Amino acid sequence: MHKNEVVQLSSNLSKGNLKKIGNRNRGLILSILSVVLFIVVWEVVSRNEWIDPLFISSPLAIAQAAVIMVQEPTFWQNMRVSGYEFGVGFLLAMVIGIPVGVFSGWNKTFNALVNPFISGLYVTPKVTLLPVIIIAFGIGPGSKIVIVFLMAFFPIVMNAQKAMHTLDQNLIKAARTFTANELQIFKMIALPSTVPFLLTGIRLGIGQGLIAVVVGELFASSAGIGFQLTNDGQNLQTDRMFVGVFVITLTGVILTTLLGIVEKHFSSWKPEKN
Amino acid sequence: MNGTQLKNNVKLSSKYLDVTYINNKTGTEVIALQNINLDIKEGEFICIVGPSGCGKTTFLNTVAGLLKPSRGTISLDNQEVDGPGKDRAMVFQTPSLFPWRTVMANVLYGIEVQKRVSNETKKKAQDYISMVGLKGYEHHYPHELSGGMQQRVNLARALTVDPSLLLLDEPFSALDAQTREFMQEELLRIWSETKKTSLFITHQIDEAIYLADRVFVFGARPGRVVDIVDINIPRPRDLNIKRDPKFLHLIDHIWSIIEKESAKQGFQ
Ligand SMILES: Nc1ncnc2c1ncn2[C@@H]1O[C@H](COP(=O)(O)OP(=O)(O)O)[C@@H](O)[C@H]1O
Ligand SMILES: [Mg+2]
Repeated sequence: MHKNEVVQLSSNLSKGNLKKIGNRNRGLILSILSVVLFIVVWEVVSRNEWIDPLFISSPLAIAQAAVIMVQEPTFWQNMRVSGYEFGVGFLLAMVIGIPVGVFSGWNKTFNALVNPFISGLYVTPKVTLLPVIIIAFGIGPGSKIVIVFLMAFFPIVMNAQKAMHTLDQNLIKAARTFTANELQIFKMIALPSTVPFLLTGIRLGIGQGLIAVVVGELFASSAGIGFQLTNDGQNLQTDRMFVGVFVITLTGVILTTLLGIVEKHFSSWKPEKN
Repeated sequence: MNGTQLKNNVKLSSKYLDVTYINNKTGTEVIALQNINLDIKEGEFICIVGPSGCGKTTFLNTVAGLLKPSRGTISLDNQEVDGPGKDRAMVFQTPSLFPWRTVMANVLYGIEVQKRVSNETKKKAQDYISMVGLKGYEHHYPHELSGGMQQRVNLARALTVDPSLLLLDEPFSALDAQTREFMQEELLRIWSETKKTSLFITHQIDEAIYLADRVFVFGARPGRVVDIVDINIPRPRDLNIKRDPKFLHLIDHIWSIIEKESAKQGFQ
């Protein structure tokens, strides 16, 4: 019986892996094809002026603009400013959001104190606060840090809370029979259980934070990728504008990919969701 | 067996035990156990059988110290039970393993909680992993194991803290029939090596008879002991004894006790 179990286990694993590798390659090829096709169609539509190139520019024009822009010091200056605003705001959102979420999910008293604010602000569209934030923190990086923080904070807090509410009571019961105290249950069960939820929160937070930087800079600023985007737009330089959009998209893709690697590391214990 | 002297020592004693659940919202009370009086001797293997809802889990949880009696006492080695203790360990119906811990780390969990990690306890964990037949799986995660293998980890985790009383709540009920029988045999083998006093809950009569020195038959509404049946089948026992006329007779006997009980319930 025992041997049977072993054999079954290993054959299941290898079959699953083979299938997955095949799927992944096929998926990748299809994705590349789809993107290439999109770029070609875009170029053709633009060349033939089926849609005014002023609106949609063209892949070649954007590439040329990109080559020029990366040689401009102001472009890198703008990147630095936006990166700084996002980085600080997002870091604050994690450093404050994770403990607040975890602790309010764990402790009923603390939850009662903070939850009205969390639930209330969660449904408030944070961008509506921008005028006030700009009055309070100026048009410099300060106001952008605040809006990034506000928009990234809530997905992180909410997911940390959710993790605490979905703790496996069977595990806690098992821990108690081994004489675990509250602190041990918190450290050895509650915290590890939050990891997948925290990563989800962080993933959503990245998306929200990137939106916040750009919207904040579009609204009022003197530097940053969003600022550059606005200027280029006003000068009808659609190609340069699209470079800005791509830079933001690329940042999002890189950050979520990095997160995916972290996720993979932490979820080696999780069953594959096929 | 270590002679009569050990066997006569009372290990666990339940006196006038009542356990009542109170619903927090409605305030209504459910009497889960009423007036449980029983003694379990050092080194005994005891099984509790009874219909579902008769309070088996409640009794085990009370012995484990997870629930407080509303009347009466449970005492272990002449000490009144007041909360969980290092002298007891539990094997649950659902494996309740930590999904982010490997087999080895799961087995070491109790030792870590009790701050007893040392080379000696690590070696003990390794020994129990081998004893339950999982050598080579130390670094696997629970989701990579079958249900039967997960239950072995559950068992090894409980044994590794070296409890003097082992509590098992229907540990094999979620397994298929074949695996279950195999695990029963394995459990007896491990028990004969460790000689730990064991309290095993099941709703399967044949499982109870196969494993136990004595079977406590519980009845429902309210949960109580309706009979105690001595199982005088010599050890070591192999699975073939399940076809022995004596074994089949014991099954009939316990069945009739349970049927008589439910008939009484019907007339109430
Ligand atoms: N947490 C609880 N709250 C209220 N009633 C409970 C609770 N747990 C069990 N009961 C009730 O107590 C009785 C005994 O339950 P249990 O000990 O789980 O029985 P068994 O393990 O024999 O199936 C049942 O009637 C059940 O409904
Ligand atoms: Mg039960």
